[in-house]
Amino acid sequence: MIRAAFRSLAVLILALVAAVAARGEVYQEPGAFVAEVFGSTPAPKVLWLTKEIQAQAAEILGHPPAQLRQRYWSEGGKSVWILEETGKEELITAGFVVVDGRIDHARVLVYRESRGQEVRQSSFLKQFRDAKLSQGNRLDRGIDGIVGATLSVRAMERMARLALFFDRVSHG
Amino acid sequence: MKKSTQALTLATAFVAPPVLAQTVDQKLQILQQEIDDLKTQTRKSVPPAQQVWPYSPEYGLMLDRSSGLASGSTNIAGYGEARYSKFRQSGDATADLQRFVFGFNHRFDEGLTLHSEVEIEHAVVSSEDAGEAEIEQAWVNYRMSDAVNFKGGLFLIPIGILNETHEPPTYYGVQRNQVETRVIPTTWRELGVGTHGVFGEGFRYDVGVTTNFDSGKLDDPTTGIRSAHQEGQLANARDLAVYGALNYRRPGLLAGGGVFAGNTGQNGASNPALQGVAARFTMWDLHAQYRVAGLDLQALYAAGTLGDADKVTAALVAADPATALAAPKSMKGAYVQAAYHVYKQGNLDVAPFVRVERIDIKQQEDPANGLLQDPNNNERIKVAGVNVWVHPQVVLKADIQRYATDKTQDRFNLGLGFMF
Repeated sequence: MIRAAFRSLAVLILALVAAVAARGEVYQEPGAFVAEVFGSTPAPKVLWLTKEIQAQAAEILGHPPAQLRQRYWSEGGKSVWILEETGKEELITAGFVVVDGRIDHARVLVYRESRGQEVRQSSFLKQFRDAKLSQGNRLDRGIDGIVGATLSVRAMERMARLALFFDRVSHG
Repeated sequence: MKKSTQALTLATAFVAPPVLAQTVDQKLQILQQEIDDLKTQTRKSVPPAQQVWPYSPEYGLMLDRSSGLASGSTNIAGYGEARYSKFRQSGDATADLQRFVFGFNHRFDEGLTLHSEVEIEHAVVSSEDAGEAEIEQAWVNYRMSDAVNFKGGLFLIPIGILNETHEPPTYYGVQRNQVETRVIPTTWRELGVGTHGVFGEGFRYDVGVTTNFDSGKLDDPTTGIRSAHQEGQLANARDLAVYGALNYRRPGLLAGGGVFAGNTGQNGASNPALQGVAARFTMWDLHAQYRVAGLDLQALYAAGTLGDADKVTAALVAADPATALAAPKSMKGAYVQAAYHVYKQGNLDVAPFVRVERIDIKQQEDPANGLLQDPNNNERIKVAGVNVWVHPQVVLKADIQRYATDKTQDRFNLGLGFMF
């Protein structure tokens, strides 16, 4: 029985390995994401995080921001923010496109953990579409979670809020 | 001559035409470029083992991080819960730091990671105290792609909802539900190897081979197969088990099930009377969770059987008639739960809930030796309470539990849970 199970397992593993192209955790390089959004890559801009901006970013993230200068790309009322935040164990890299103070679309660019990859599904990411900041720098809507990916979902939500906040302050 | 050259240079600098003058922005760009160059050099000098993948210098530069990618190849996570219980019938009350769990996670390289959790139950661990210290997980994962991961070590079995996702802020009620405690023996872990991954839009599979229970070690008649667990502690591994699970997840929805099967006789390693006895154990479950407009609905059904239960009971009697018990031959359980988020403002989230649980564990009686069915194994439990999240990762809980059979368990609970 166990021998048969081992055989079945081995066959299944081989079949899976053969069936699946070597698809890594990098779903899209940040540079490619920026180029896709704008059609070309505009010169990056830098948002300097003043003490006041740092304080509000820390309130959104629940911890101080990782850097004091945030690089972003913007052109014609559209801005792109590539952010990183820890899910359960490791950093998630995500790109957010903001147009007129609303999220146009979001994408998970790199996911490093062995669980919770469901946050990169379109069914999850489309919840951010058209989201904007409401009182207290919170999203104007609830984001439904994914069982088993609670902390990754929270990290995505925090990054979405931060992208909208950065977009707002970048316009002065 | 030398002095006059310097004077000329200075004069030229001051009277340089406007086209050569640099604005503050231009100077900042130059400074930025210099910083970027320095960062690139620094990154190239950091050994890859100390960096978080992907670790190309250009990648980190694009994110404008000075240290985030180059640190944290090992991180710490954890959770814990404390509770107060006031029993209705006896009037007794207990307070307990039920568990504190911390874990180290380490990334060896872009595909290879370690996941671990160490659990301390009931605050104090010594030969005279009730506390336990145990390794809840310690496994290595090799990720080929999202769809194909291989893992090995001590890991959680993907049966039910709670077994893999049991951090206190993720479930309702001060205590874990009884179906996923007495029927599915959460936190259920085994030593083994497996493969898992995601495919399609939201499907996740898990399959593998692990150690199994040892039915010769059964010593608690009220928890089904639970007391026969081995938990990676010098586990008798003559008989192994296979498991498989398939789950579908999308925002607000989880639906899936799992199965685990294998012999538990272990050729009499812990009880010679079980030599040659298969004592096959099979457990499966179906579960679903759905969230819509602030309403959280959850349901689970689990069932298991232990073959040769009569021989297991006889073997337990043969080993020690004084401590023997009637082995479980079948175990079933189900619950339905509903919660509603009545108030949400900032981090504060208030959700009352109700849950009805049903447990039915049937034992292989041996009347001649006085081993009979424990009436408390046919139980119906009603729970009503509230979860109050003061932060997404910190929750206060209160609930009332009513047991239909074992009324000594009726109680009022208060709890505090956290995860990080």
